[in-house]
Amino acid sequence: MKSKRFEALAARPVNQDGYVQEWPEVGLIAMNSPFDPKPSIKIENGRVVEMDGKRRADFDMLDTFIADHAIRLDNAEKAMSIDSLEIARKIVDINVSRDEILDITLSVTPAKLTEIVGKLTIVEIMMGMTKMRARLMPANQCHVTNVKDNPVQIAADAAEAAVRGFAEMETTVGIARYAPFNAMALFVGAQAGRPGIMTQCALEEATELQLGMRGFTTYAETISVYGTEPVFMDGDDTPYSKAFLASCYASRGLKMRFTSGTGSEVQMGYAEGKSMLYLEARCLAVTKGAGVQGTQNGSVSCVGVPAGVPGGIRAIAAENLIAMLLDLESTTSNDQTFTHSDLRRVARSVPQLFSGTDYICSGYSATPNYDNMFAGSNWDADDYDDWNIIQRDMRIDGGLQPVKEDDVIKARNKAARALQGMFRELGLPPITDEEVEAATYARGSEDMPDRNVNEDLKAIEDMMARKVTGVDFVKALDRAGFPDVAQNIYNMLRQKVAGDYLHTASIFDKDFHVYSGVNAPNDYHGPMTGYQLSEERWEQIKNIPNAIRPEDI
Amino acid sequence: MNFDENMLRSVIEEVLKEMGAASTAPAAKAAPAVSTLQAGEMSLADTGEAAKGVAPDEVVIGLAPAFGVYQHETIIHQPHSKVLREIIAGIEEEGMKWRLIRVFRTSDVSFIAHDAAEYSGSGIGIGIQSKGTTVIHQKDLPPLSNLELFSQAPLIEMDTFRQIGKNAAKYAKGEAPTPVPVRNDQMARPTYQAIAALLHIKETEHCDRDKKPQAVTVSFK
Amino acid sequence: MDQELLMKQIVEQVMNAMSKGVPAPAAPGGRMTAANYPLAEKESGKIKTPTGKPFSSLSYEKVLSGELTADDMRISPETLEYQAQVAESVNREAFAGNLRRAAELIAVPDDRLLEIYNALRPYRSTKQELLDIANELDQKYGAKTAAGLVREAAQVYEQRDRLKKF
Repeated sequence: MKSKRFEALAARPVNQDGYVQEWPEVGLIAMNSPFDPKPSIKIENGRVVEMDGKRRADFDMLDTFIADHAIRLDNAEKAMSIDSLEIARKIVDINVSRDEILDITLSVTPAKLTEIVGKLTIVEIMMGMTKMRARLMPANQCHVTNVKDNPVQIAADAAEAAVRGFAEMETTVGIARYAPFNAMALFVGAQAGRPGIMTQCALEEATELQLGMRGFTTYAETISVYGTEPVFMDGDDTPYSKAFLASCYASRGLKMRFTSGTGSEVQMGYAEGKSMLYLEARCLAVTKGAGVQGTQNGSVSCVGVPAGVPGGIRAIAAENLIAMLLDLESTTSNDQTFTHSDLRRVARSVPQLFSGTDYICSGYSATPNYDNMFAGSNWDADDYDDWNIIQRDMRIDGGLQPVKEDDVIKARNKAARALQGMFRELGLPPITDEEVEAATYARGSEDMPDRNVNEDLKAIEDMMARKVTGVDFVKALDRAGFPDVAQNIYNMLRQKVAGDYLHTASIFDKDFHVYSGVNAPNDYHGPMTGYQLSEERWEQIKNIPNAIRPEDI
Repeated sequence: MNFDENMLRSVIEEVLKEMGAASTAPAAKAAPAVSTLQAGEMSLADTGEAAKGVAPDEVVIGLAPAFGVYQHETIIHQPHSKVLREIIAGIEEEGMKWRLIRVFRTSDVSFIAHDAAEYSGSGIGIGIQSKGTTVIHQKDLPPLSNLELFSQAPLIEMDTFRQIGKNAAKYAKGEAPTPVPVRNDQMARPTYQAIAALLHIKETEHCDRDKKPQAVTVSFK
Repeated sequence: MDQELLMKQIVEQVMNAMSKGVPAPAAPGGRMTAANYPLAEKESGKIKTPTGKPFSSLSYEKVLSGELTADDMRISPETLEYQAQVAESVNREAFAGNLRRAAELIAVPDDRLLEIYNALRPYRSTKQELLDIANELDQKYGAKTAAGLVREAAQVYEQRDRLKKF
């Protein structure tokens, strides 16, 4: 006889997910692996000669880079000598300040960082995040893509996402050659929705830089680093080329962060028998050593790997915390589907959403997931109300707010029309009124008419050869009768001259005032300190349109 | 800057010399078959170092280290023999020629495709991993970019493989084909990511960083 | 174009690039700190574009009229030095180092910068090619730190067998 209860359980979404048992020898283990190196450091004549049990002669490329660039040596021996448990306790002790913690954690090795966070429960990791994130107030980022690479829809979705509260937006492509259109549509759509939003387009590294130089984007994020040397090579980079790339971005006034995450090394076939978290700690040390202001981490696109092993979701939160312990802007993933279960996907986001991080999702899909070209996010446009109500339930700021349908339709329409006008003025293939109408009311690309892809690709090639830049967008939008959108684009370009937003964890408000770890540092030190919801913000969050008002009864 | 006549002449000579060297490089038959392995309805044989092609009407298909040898089907159990046959049929339908190489230095599909493109007389190559992930590449693009990328192996079915062959052939002819419509399924990851990792580990085990691309012959049964 | 004119142009371009590569002067009246931040609001008088235009003189209207071009909407080495000082004032010396390396790279044209980045990727260059790049950064653009990084890479790539193979 079969149990009816087991039959019902077997049919549950959670049982459609893939799970694997730990296999530490090949690195299929989230954290606390018996094969992880023991923390150590030896310094002679100002040079690291031994790190995490390895002599300098045995260093691989990552070890060398980390030893030479990532650790504050003057305090290293002292910091390394403090018991990891004691450091872990300091992290959750409200009487020990963020700065005091950083004094220790910026001077230790990857194995030590791994050991420290390995002592924390998930709740303690969350307490650590609350204290250690760089910026005072949390924020959120979204993905804006679609399966057709339709630029009109990108502009409209970006404008809606802007109204809903996202501070940063990222697009990518189905067809690589569409990238310039996607980037400009995102830029225009975001600025039409709310001034001051930063936008990026995830591409092959050199191409991504090129778009930034041209003023099609204002920051970059998909600058991947990996925790073992062979995987780094398959990613077509080295710590040195990535450090150089980091400087290339800053030299053009572009904000950038690296990205990495647990599971990528196993996924790409070379984990060297180390735990996912230890390898991620190496990635973060490389990030720090390259002098980059921040990171997107939290397993990201490899989430299926840690999520398949025991303790994997805890490890993801732990890797976010390590980023914060290295004083990096933390952009904490929550951006990839990993489960069929709605319960699991909410639980996965609890640590970052409840603690607040610099960017809770990186990003939240601003379209239904069928249009998400990062292969689906953990949260999508169909979840907007769930997110808003969770914020309201828990009295937390997850970066979004409830909106009115009219406002969204207006914003979508304006963005689509602005892009239509800009395309016309730049001599690009026309955007029809039918497309504008469709984009205004669309849920996703299923509601959009098809474009002539070949004509678009040809026009893109021609536009890039003509050396069109962001400055041309400003002029074209002005001529097209959208001077306010044009001014916003101009203001974003102008920020590149000043470079304030290059700093750790920066965001802009609608008046282009920058908030970062410099002028808005996180000063949490216990109850009623750190970021507190203002009355105004709480009003915004709690007033969902579908709540019954007592006075109406 | 303007070239003088002599400079131009020497550049052309240089290029011609390189082209001559490539076309006289050992042909497939010169080297003895080093490994002939049965793979269901197909047998693949490595026949020594691959030559860089000069024929403008060829598309080179780059196979990942384990394709058809240590692994025989894609992540959704499509036989490699059928996959290859479809790609080839697509190329032939467009009246173009094809050639196979196997890439050993990496198991990364973008690099495999880029190597294939570099070895292709037309500059167009296709790279394919054992799990089915496929890329159409052009030699002048950065390795991690592409003309068309089919990154979600669980969504690539037989008609897509034929379409990939056709489009690659069209790029080789200098046409601008409409890219094969991109597919997306956000539930592919939860279902397949762990198994994809395993398949990739098994592919990577057969990499050899120091081994140049090898020419491969195929016979279908 | 006759050869003499061409030569003259090349010399001018090189000289121009070299002069841009000179390390930034210290901030007049002491170092920038978090108190001066954001510079766009508090120190707009001290920021200039690489083309020498004051930040406060930039305007939307000038973009429309064509008086300002894409070349003006860039950051200058001096501004990056100020931002590096701000970073140091909040104990972010690694980040400050990146900004200083970036300040040196402003003079390198976009296309060349992309080429150098690609040359630094694994298996792309011989050791000599990397050392030549380091010398170019050093001598042509005055990019001392960036050159140091490339030299370091050449050394490590050789040790780790990541130089060009075939």
